Amino acid sequence: MDREIRILEIKESVFEDNNKDADRLREDLKGQGTFLLNLMSSPGAGKTTTLIQTINALKDEINIAIMEADIDSDVDAQTISETGVPVIQLHTGGMCHLDADMTRQGIHGLDAANSDLIILENVGNLVCPAEFDTGATKNAMILSIPEGDDKPLKYPLMFEICHALIINKIDALPLFDFDMEAFIERAKKINPDIAIFPISAKTGEGVDAWVDWLRTEVKLYQE
Amino acid sequence: MHELGILYHVVDQVLNIVEENQLETVEAIVLQVGELSTVVPRYLYSCYPATVVGTMLEDTKLEVEILPANALCHNCGKVFNALSNHGTCPFCSAKDHELLSGREFMIKEIRAY
Repeated sequence: MDREIRILEIKESVFEDNNKDADRLREDLKGQGTFLLNLMSSPGAGKTTTLIQTINALKDEINIAIMEADIDSDVDAQTISETGVPVIQLHTGGMCHLDADMTRQGIHGLDAANSDLIILENVGNLVCPAEFDTGATKNAMILSIPEGDDKPLKYPLMFEICHALIINKIDALPLFDFDMEAFIERAKKINPDIAIFPISAKTGEGVDAWVDWLRTEVKLYQE
Repeated sequence: MHELGILYHVVDQVLNIVEENQLETVEAIVLQVGELSTVVPRYLYSCYPATVVGTMLEDTKLEVEILPANALCHNCGKVFNALSNHGTCPFCSAKDHELLSGREFMIKEIRAY
């Protein structure tokens, strides 16, 4: 008997399964009152240094836990553990991003059900992490001055999905041709609602405004 | 090289469809990739064999259709290709536009027995 070929019309986004899973995780986290922040940037933009400043500013007020995602190594987790907050290192095994399921496994491994705030330091990359919803409550990105003011043009999706944009290494502004006004205009054109925080994680300048934003977001979420 | 990771999601999704529909053999998977999506078709083809090895899709063909980066000009109302015109309308030179297509990454269909 000849077998008849069937054409199954799927018309489904490849990210659909992960999107659904991310919504489930978001709901679970809401149930336990845990705010998940997904922090993204290029390698070397200052994620870990910014994170340490953020942890030190908030750890006496709220329960914080950290998830470090990397392709390999535990360099960042070791640095973060010196702040005294719970931290877990996730290895993506060569993958350039975390998806919702990997994030869920990380949260379970962290055993931090009483956390008010979990910060996920995603893999350093401006492309793939933007496409995979981790189930985070809010997304934030760091763009550092040496990377250049053209990045919103090159990586529009990252700027589109983020609620907060930290501009790091402003202490290095005199050394680079970084047009702050043009950069902010480009970012706002893609995402008019994005909250922008120019900081220097090294000197601490501007960090207060960023921490205030995060503190307020966590409070509003838990009310 | 995020195509490899993304393809694992595709394979998982297709295997779910295979199970739901009790398919015996899948002849081809057809993907649609927008010109402005971050996925490079050439890399999809080269990563694909690694993601299906040991699954029932090992002999399944991968086909990729490209969707154009069509934009609607807000000034003159004409449609133009945003990629080849660098985001500037070739009819009236305006930059203000909205994207109609080009960011997609979809499983369009699968052909199966």
